Formats: sequence, structure tokens, C-alpha cells
Amino acid sequence: MSFERDLLALLPRLRRFAASLSRDRADGDDLCQAALERGLKSRDQWQPGTRLDSWMYRIMRNLWIDEARARQRAARTFAPEEAGEGVGYAGDRDVEAHMMLSDVDRAMQALPDEQREAIALVLVEGLSYKEAAAVLDIPMGTLTSRLVRGRGALIELMGEAA
Amino acid sequence: MNQIDEAMLIALVDGELDEVNRRRVERAVADDPALAQRLAQHRAIRESLSGHYAPVAEEPVPDRFRVLLTESEAVVSVTRPVRRWGGWAVGGAIAASLVLGLAVGRFSGGEAGPIGMQGGTLVAQGELARALDGQLASAQDGATVRMELSFRRKGGGWCRSFDGAVAGVACRQDDGWQVQQILPGMTQGSDYRQASSADARLMATVDALIDGAPVDAAAERAAQAKGWR
Repeated sequence: MSFERDLLALLPRLRRFAASLSRDRADGDDLCQAALERGLKSRDQWQPGTRLDSWMYRIMRNLWIDEARARQRAARTFAPEEAGEGVGYAGDRDVEAHMMLSDVDRAMQALPDEQREAIALVLVEGLSYKEAAAVLDIPMGTLTSRLVRGRGALIELMGEAA
Repeated sequence: MNQIDEAMLIALVDGELDEVNRRRVERAVADDPALAQRLAQHRAIRESLSGHYAPVAEEPVPDRFRVLLTESEAVVSVTRPVRRWGGWAVGGAIAASLVLGLAVGRFSGGEAGPIGMQGGTLVAQGELARALDGQLASAQDGATVRMELSFRRKGGGWCRSFDGAVAGVACRQDDGWQVQQILPGMTQGSDYRQASSADARLMATVDALIDGAPVDAAAERAAQAKGWR
């Protein structure tokens, strides 16, 4: 089995993880593409015999975090200048995007990043606590407390719909 | 009675409790309707999340990801730079190759040049023909003509792209190699290789002919061993 074929076999799961992290499916596939490119480029850093799925989850998660931080920085830097222009357009787009989202998407998006990634790995990807803590490089106790807080918030947000 | 906290409840839902603790939580839940309701909420959340995203993993993988991986595999096995298949204009490449091909045919006069005319078609001869027959892309240090990609064409049969004094694509036909395209060589007189428009035109021809993806080194060796049939 080549590295590429192993990646191909993982792709359905990687896309699902990307979708659960991202704001919509298109963003999810962009994230997935970026993670694949990064994985191919750094293939030498993967230790054969270790879990390729965990390695790819970690790459994807790190890219997502980097991007989220960059976006926040950009928002802080540019918001004052842009406040006057393009608001209507951006607003329309947000409304439109919002309408296409399901309750689940909306609730996931409302979660802080650290809770969303923990929830995505355990509830969506079905990783064990140990595996998820390893991907996120955090202690088990930290993982479980994020799962508790994140799920409490999801129950609030999704209410009876859940 | 119950020392059951939220973390224990969700650990039960996530299948993370050992036998002893699982029984303990289940007993507590059985005695406490509020706890039971909370457990039901947690179960529902897990189900609706996994159910919501599950279809993504059921879909066929989009082509753009498949291409990315196939390309990478081809690159690693025959060591070429990453390229995108598709998107190149094929028409110009064919026109250019016709002009150059006719010129090569006329001037080489069936002599020692790499390209000759045979029954109205351009065929590889001499050194180029020998390289197409026997040289593997994975082992060609110091060769004057470099084999680049080996691939199956649509409709069957093998083709190979090459680069040297002349660059092009040739496909196996009967006992010889029919030249599909021929361009001025890109590595001529220099070790330093740049992507050029000729390179793009070659890729367009490969793209137009190829069935699937270029083969890896092992498959290339197997095809060579069978005489490209």
C-alpha cells in the first residue's frame, strides 16, 4: 500500500472531520485539500507504523486553528476601515449562508474552537478519549472537561431539536 | 445516592466507562428521572451530530482530491514536478507538433535522426527508439534522452513521454513507436530545467491521450519486460 492509497482510503473520514470543523461544506473541502497538500508535502515526517489517521487529523486541525486565528486577526485589524463599505453585501451573504445551515451546523459554529474540535473528534469521528487527546495534544482531563462544556452548550443551543 | 456527574454521563454515552462504573451509572440513572432525562439528551446530541455529518463520509470522494493523490503518486515514482492534468489547450500543441514533425521528417531523411517517416506516420528511430523500448524512467542517470511518463492510452496500448534533444510523446504501434508529438527539447544543453510552454504543450498531449494516471516504477518495469504490449 502506498502512502497515497492509504490517504485515499482515509479521505471520506477526513472530509467529514473537515465538514464538522468548518462553517460550510465548501470551506470544509478547502480545508481538506489544504490538509492533503500539507500531508503529502510532509510525508517524511510521518512515522510508518503509527496511525496515519491521527496524523492527518492533527494536520487538519492545526491548519484550521491557524486559519481561524488569522481570520480573527484580520477581523480586528480591518473591521474599522471596512465598517462603512460592503456591509450590505457581507450582510446578505451571511444571511444567505445562515439560512442554508441546519440547526446542527449553527450549534457547532457557536461553540468555541477548543470545544468544537473535541466534539468533532469524539462524537463525529468516533475517536476514543485517549486518541482524541493525543490528536489535540492535551491531557485527558482537559479533553473531558471540554466535552462536558461543549455538550452542555449544544443541548442549550439545539434544545428540543436534539 | 448519586455521585454521578456530567462527565460520567457522557463517558457512558461515549462508551468510555469500564464495567464497574458503567453499572454504577446505569443504576443511578434508573433511580433518578432527572438524571435519566439528562442522559437521554446526551444520547440524542451524539446521535444527531454523528447522523448529521455521516453522509459526508458516504459520498464518493470528489475528483479534485483523487487527482491530487494520483498525481502525487506518479510524481514520487517517476520523480517529476507536480502538475495539474487538464486545462491546457490541445489544439495548439497538435498544430505545433505537426509543423515541427514534418520538418524533422524532411530533414532527418530517414537517417540517423531520432524521428523518421514510415508509411506516412512519424516514428521513433535510432537512439530514441532504443530509449523508448528499454529505458526506465526510474533508472536513467546520464541518458541523453530522458523518459518522463509512461501511461496507458485511451483505447489501449502504451505511450511514453520523453525529453532530450527533442521532446515529445510516442505510443507503441506494432513493432515501433509512433510519435504523437515532437517539440524542441527542453533539457537541451543545460542541466537546469525550467517549466516552459513546450512543457505545457506536452502535458496537454499526455492529458488528451492518457487513460487514468501514469504508472509507477514497478508497473513501468513490468510493461517494459513485456515489450510494451
